[in-house]
This record gives sequence, C-alpha cells and structure tokens, in this order.
Amino acid sequence: MRAKRRAVTSSQGVAEQKYPSAQKRPAARPTSSLGVRGSTVRPGAPVPAPVPALDVDLSVDLGRGLVLPNPILVASGTFGYGIEYGEVVDVDRLGAICCKGTTLKARIGNPPPRVTETPAGMLNSIGLQNPGVDAVIDRYAEIWARWRVPVLVNVAGESVRDYVEVARRLDGVPGVAGIELNISCPNVGAGGLQFAIDAGAAAEVTAAVRRATDLPLLVKLSPNVSDIRPIARAIADAGADALTAINTLSGIAISAGRGRPLLGNIYGGLSGPAIKPVALRVVYEAVQAVRIPVVAIGGVTELADVLDFLAVGAVAVQVGTAIFADPTLPVRLVDELAGECGRRGMTSYRDLIGTALPKKAERPSSKGVEYRP
Amino acid sequence: MRLAAAELVESREILPGQWLQAYHAPGLATGSRAGQFIHVRPGDFSGMILRRPFSLNTTDPATGTVTIHFRVIGRGTAWFTHLRPGDRIDLLGPLGRPFEVDARSRHLLLVAGGLGIAGVRMLADEAIRDGRQVTLLFGAASAREVYPSNLLPDEVEYIVATDDGSLGHHGFVTDLVADYEAWADQAFACGPAPMLAALARLAEGRRARLGVAKLGRKRGGGKADPVGSPAARRKAFLQVSMEQNMGCAVGACLGCVVMGTSGVPQRVCREGPVFAAEEIAWEGGW
Repeated sequence: MRAKRRAVTSSQGVAEQKYPSAQKRPAARPTSSLGVRGSTVRPGAPVPAPVPALDVDLSVDLGRGLVLPNPILVASGTFGYGIEYGEVVDVDRLGAICCKGTTLKARIGNPPPRVTETPAGMLNSIGLQNPGVDAVIDRYAEIWARWRVPVLVNVAGESVRDYVEVARRLDGVPGVAGIELNISCPNVGAGGLQFAIDAGAAAEVTAAVRRATDLPLLVKLSPNVSDIRPIARAIADAGADALTAINTLSGIAISAGRGRPLLGNIYGGLSGPAIKPVALRVVYEAVQAVRIPVVAIGGVTELADVLDFLAVGAVAVQVGTAIFADPTLPVRLVDELAGECGRRGMTSYRDLIGTALPKKAERPSSKGVEYRP
Repeated sequence: MRLAAAELVESREILPGQWLQAYHAPGLATGSRAGQFIHVRPGDFSGMILRRPFSLNTTDPATGTVTIHFRVIGRGTAWFTHLRPGDRIDLLGPLGRPFEVDARSRHLLLVAGGLGIAGVRMLADEAIRDGRQVTLLFGAASAREVYPSNLLPDEVEYIVATDDGSLGHHGFVTDLVADYEAWADQAFACGPAPMLAALARLAEGRRARLGVAKLGRKRGGGKADPVGSPAARRKAFLQVSMEQNMGCAVGACLGCVVMGTSGVPQRVCREGPVFAAEEIAWEGGW
C-alpha cells in the first residue's frame, strides 16, 4: 500500500528528491538510429523499465472519501448532465463529471446569442440556465447512481443562503459524489460583488456550505482577481476539500460589421486554449498557497497540456471547451496518461506532479486531507 | 448520433461565395432525415476550436454521399473551401430533430430565404419520393444569389422573389405565401429570423381566414399531444428550421437556445432545429 505517501506531511527530504535541480538534468541528446531519439535518460543511469499502462495507478484522492479512478474530469457546463453525448462517450471511463451549474430555483439564463468563437477560444454567457436543484435531483440522480463515475454537482447561487440550501438538498442524495462551488456569481446581498473576488466573501460561502453538508467540497477559483493566493488560502481555511482553477476569464466580443456587442449578455466567459497560460499561472500560485489538492482547468486539448498542469502542481485536470470539438478527448487522455507513465517507468502518475514548482516549495498535496472539524 | 470520418468527393462554388460540397459518409446518407444537421470539425485545431453546424442539404444512399451548402462568412467556412477531393473531415451526426410531415399532406409549401434553402432542400427530395407535390418559394437579395433551378428536382414548382426585383417577384418571399396558403396542407420554412417570424404570423391567422378544419383532430377532441412531440409537430401547419450560434450541438452546453412559448429556452440542437411555429416566442421572450 502507499499509505505512507501522505503528501501533506511529506518531509523535506522527500521533496528534495522530487525536484531535481535543472543543472542535474542533462540536455536531450539525439541518439543514433538504434536509440530513442531525444531521450532524456541520464548517461549511466538505469533506464526505467516500461510499466504496462494497465498497472499505472491513476487514482486520485480529493479528500473526504472522494477517490477518483483517474485524474481526467469533464468540466461543468461542457458536458451537461453526463447523458447528452450518449454512446459517443463512455462516461464510466472518466475520472469524474462536473455537471451543469445548478441553482436553488430554475433559471432561464441569458438571451442569445450565448456563444461565439474567439481566437483559440470561445466566449459563453449561458447565464446558469438550469431547471433548479430539485428537478436536477429528480431527473438525473438516479441515472448518476447507476454509474461508476463520480458526479460532482456544480452549485451556484446569488446569496450564501442559496448555496447552503442547494448543498443541503444535495446532501445524502445517492448519485451525488460531491459539490463543486461556482463562486463566480454576483452576491446580490453585497451589491452584486462576486464571491470569488473577495477573500472574505469566498470564505464565508465556503464555510457556510461546509457546515451544511458532509459531501466532498471543491471550490472553483475565478482568474478575474489581482492576487489569487489570499483567496485560495481563505477558501482552504474555510474547509474546502479541494480547489478547482480556473473559471472563465471575463471578456466581450463585438459583432462583425454591426459594431455592437455580439453576446446577448454583452459579457461572456473566455475559455479554451487561449486561457491556458493564465490557468497555469493561477494553479502554480494556488498550489503553493494551500495544502489541499488543486484540480486544474483551462485550455486542455492534448496530453501535453495535462502534463503541464500536473507539473505546476495540479493533481487532476478538467477538460472543458475541447470536448465540443472532440467529445472522445477526455477518455483518450486517460489512456494516453497511463501510457505516458508506463513509458517513463512510473507506477503512479503522481510522480509527474509539481515538477515545475520552485525547488524549496513543499510537495503539493496530491491526497485529500482528513476531516478537520 | 455518431462520430465518423468523411472524405470530400466534390466541392464547387455554385453561387458567388456559396459552396456545395459532397462527402462520402454512408452511415449519414442512409440514417438521416430532412431537417437534421451535422457538426463538422475544421482541421485547423490551433485557432478554431468549435465545430461548425451544417444542415444536411441532400443525401444519396445509393452512393453514400451527403452534401452541405454554405456561404463563406468567416474563417471556418473559408477553411472548408480549401479542402480538396480526398481530404477527410470529422463529422458528428445526424443531430437534431427532423421535419415531421403528416401522412395525409399532399401539398407541401417550402419557404426558403437565402441560405435557408439548405435547411429545406432535403425535404423536397423526401416529399417527392413519397409522392407529394412541392412548391418552393425562394427569396434572395438579388438575382445573383438565386439558387440554381437545375439543382432542384424537376417535380418542384419553383417561385422566386428578389428584394431588388432583378428576378421574379419584386419584394419579400413572404408576399408570395398568400397565393399558396390555401393550396398547402403544410408549410416548412428556413431562413432569417424576421422572415420566419413573419411566416409564423401569417400561419397563425390562416385557419381563421380559410375556415379549414384542423388536421388530426378526431371528433370530440381527444388527448392533445404534448407540445414539441413529433405527433404535435406533425399536426402543425408551419414548421420552421431555426439557426443559432452553437457550441456542443448535442444539448450539453445550452449555447444555442431560442425562447419557447412555454417560457423555457429551447435548444436548437436538441429540441430543434425544426420547431412547430407555435413553439417559438417570436416577440422577444427574455
């Protein structure tokens, strides 16, 4: 068993081992036609024996008993309630599904147009259209309960009370594996200021939901802030089990030729490959600020992106916008990640986590923390 | 719905800036109905991250080909025009719900505005195959943009209106509807939203003007079909194929909605693209 690999309590010695300094790593050398081109194997060092992809441990513990079979999740709003893609996607091979944002009451959302493509990305302003938490439970929980894949319900609200009430109704429902809090919503009680941009408000809503439910609780960070670290810290201290980063970047598109805002809501959220560098930076900062696992999201379109996010310390990634172009991508990434670990001779993908962090940084948490009262 | 690779068979510019492309996709050619669409992935993944929806313009089960008809309006559509025969693209489909034709309808009125022809073109084939009579009213800005009649089946009666009067009726295509509303058993339309809204207004008053019995209503009423069900749509005089910016095209992202009369936004990709005219809230809604 790997019981001793509690990252939170890992000693400095272990951390040293995990982050070899740059100088120690030899440059890639093209080898003869017999060798592997571009291999980065140290001269004289034993070549790691490949591990069969099936034997690679991809499981990830996000805390409070939420153990995902693999670290590839599908992002809220891009995968509906998990049933829309039908036979095109085998949902039981995913790490987890984050369902469409769910509010206490039904919402009709924003006027169309709601989506538009932008360079290497897209803007969306769905406006949290959803049938309300009770209808979501009614229609989908039974289906989710039959699946092996954990379903995290993405929860949004306009007040702390809304969030708490939704969480309370989800608590104990079979088929609901956890909650992902979308706190990038205006707090009507505080003059429409978003919860996510203020450490106090973010902590308040997190703590309130924490008290209302024992479900695993992920909180999704907004990138539209000047410094993510105090907010991430406040949310972690308020009792979140894990963080998700990042939500969309706020943006505007103009209708070509008409000189007016294109989206019915004027503002939209930017997602896709265009935001990946921002997501990498936010994850990089967040994992160094907190001791709970961070799930990365933002512009994942191929295995290299997954590896990049793991390198900056994420324990798992969510695939979002790329699903629209290639619905089979998330399942393929699971296979490719296992294959990549196998080729590198790793028995667990966890060795890929945090390699890009500063040397002195503690190894990021890749294991959920125990229950803290 | 399934994913499939399809090979481009033929590509030509049938009108200035408008292209007709044939792809070899046997599964789609046999398993699709008029009104459904496909979601196609441009090959330039670096910049264009969304698929493009296209109406199935025609299908030919004998050769296993499907055609799409589109206007070059942006980088995505421009990319498709650079494909050469033999190139392969990634298709998701068939998607959405088809036109529902009542079995008793003998006379079908199709109304198309500009590129809307691509939305109703396949219905003309299906109707003629089933032995129905078809009249197609087509509206365009000018004669330069009028759909070539040689691309239509001979059996279709084809009537053209142009905004500038350069060909056919001088005015909107909706002006022509009055001449045919008594003849038609059902009408099917695709085109700009204002055109569809005008048609919906005309269709609303049709029964009162003509004093015709409502199709499909048994004596003594009977149980009403749920709004939006195939049975309910089959009984509607006017069905419209709607257009909206689209994300996933399978109903997951809720990007492509239009407001329904029930007060709930309707997904063009899932509940549509074909709707009965009375399902749509034509005046605002939000």
